[in-house]
Amino acid sequence: MKKTKKLLLVVERDLRMFLQYKFIMIMRTIWFAAQVAFFGLIASRMVVPELADIYFEFYVAGVVIMMLYSASVFIGYDINEEAEHGVFEYLLSLPISRKELVLGRSIGGGIRSFILIGPIIAISLFVIGFANPLNLLIAFSALFLFAFGVSGMSITIAVMLKSGDRFDIFMGVLNALIVRLSTTMYPQAYVQNASEVYATFSKFNPLTFASDLFRWGTGIERYLTMDPMPLAAIIGIVIFFFAFTFVGVTIYEKRLEGGGWR
Amino acid sequence: MKAILHIIEYDFRNFFRYKWWLVGLISMNLADLLIMAVIYNQMVSPEITELTKSYFNFFAPGVTVVGLFASAFMIGREINMQVRRQIHHYMLSLPITRLELAVGRLLAGGLRGMVYMSPLLLTTFLFLGFPSLPQFFVILGALFLLATGISGLSIAIAVSTTSFEKFVTARGLVYYVLFFCSSIFYPLSLIQTLGQEGVMPQPIVALAELNPLSSGADLIRSFLLGTPPFTLNMIRNLIVFSTVFATTATFAYMKIIERR
Repeated sequence: MKKTKKLLLVVERDLRMFLQYKFIMIMRTIWFAAQVAFFGLIASRMVVPELADIYFEFYVAGVVIMMLYSASVFIGYDINEEAEHGVFEYLLSLPISRKELVLGRSIGGGIRSFILIGPIIAISLFVIGFANPLNLLIAFSALFLFAFGVSGMSITIAVMLKSGDRFDIFMGVLNALIVRLSTTMYPQAYVQNASEVYATFSKFNPLTFASDLFRWGTGIERYLTMDPMPLAAIIGIVIFFFAFTFVGVTIYEKRLEGGGWR
Repeated sequence: MKAILHIIEYDFRNFFRYKWWLVGLISMNLADLLIMAVIYNQMVSPEITELTKSYFNFFAPGVTVVGLFASAFMIGREINMQVRRQIHHYMLSLPITRLELAVGRLLAGGLRGMVYMSPLLLTTFLFLGFPSLPQFFVILGALFLLATGISGLSIAIAVSTTSFEKFVTARGLVYYVLFFCSSIFYPLSLIQTLGQEGVMPQPIVALAELNPLSSGADLIRSFLLGTPPFTLNMIRNLIVFSTVFATTATFAYMKIIERR
């Protein structure tokens, strides 16, 4: 069997598995609706006048990136579940190399997160609009890499920790910090005013790169962090993608065998 | 009474089994307070914060209530799991009446929320100042009513379905509606203004006004910040919420565990 076909089989399996999680999709949709219809709308009336005219659109774009991140992370929970139920041994027995397995899973994780948030992106674009289709296309291409990178990161952490509980907690804490220390919810200028330390974390955060790209793609160009756009954000995302996909493959290969799952 | 204490002890032991989950939850609450609220301090219009001095001051009581809600709600997850796995048959075999069992679990859910919330409340006091002793007891009493009501609400949802997915979805819906449609993140007066302007539908405004989470957060604010002013409506909302859901949960739980 050709390598590409094997890779596609792994991707297909992860896509099929994701359709089982319809309740999670419903929950995410409720979360999105609540974030936009309540928090986004009310907070846009709460902020300083110079930000008030754009904050709703700014926030909606940020919520899309938060959703893309949390959907891409989900693959790590699947891996823990499979380890607990002994499916891992079955996967290892297949005529597929470890590299193809992790790469396929990373791509599958990224694609399915896009499928999950596809309708939400459509609603967001309807709400905030977009000026230039080419910019939007460039932004989406880079966001695919972002989703693959987050899936790779999630897989890497899952196989490093080898424990469902630890993974759950680690991702909870990471999620709390990575989202809040990014520009998904607030412009970098205000993060800078609040704290230099927060601003440093925020500037080198993959969620900041992704938020900037999505906002740039939809024409919300005031308050972008990266400069020059879109090159700086794309470079950031490409580095993030390569780091977690290829370092992830190496770690995955080393840690996968030998058991040790708790 | 002793039987109820045994049930409370049992649920507390279970609660501390989730210590890593609690670490995750507290880190999220602290990140909300120490990162999000600090940054929003820079962004929120001075008109909104003129009475509270900063958004951080406004939000600290809110995050305390968020923590209380999330931890008191956990009892529902355990009860739903026990109903699905039919562990309640073991509970029924114990020399404890059905009423004691139901009341014990309800109170345990509320008390667990109070225990989890204590460090967050202390953090709020440290940043905003300490209330007088009578105010402190009113705050504790009000938060206990809120915690018991939340525990009742989660038990009522938990026993209404044997499907974990449906429970999780219902829980998500309740979480987001009660969190975002309250004065936890923004002043109630702002929601009311949006209602008057026709931006926010009136039923949503009414829900935010009657929401027990709004009453809990605003009650702490009224004592620590002096705004909004304390009213008996806050206590009334909490008593009604607590009574309705404590009663519903007690009878629903008694009925469900006896079902074949």
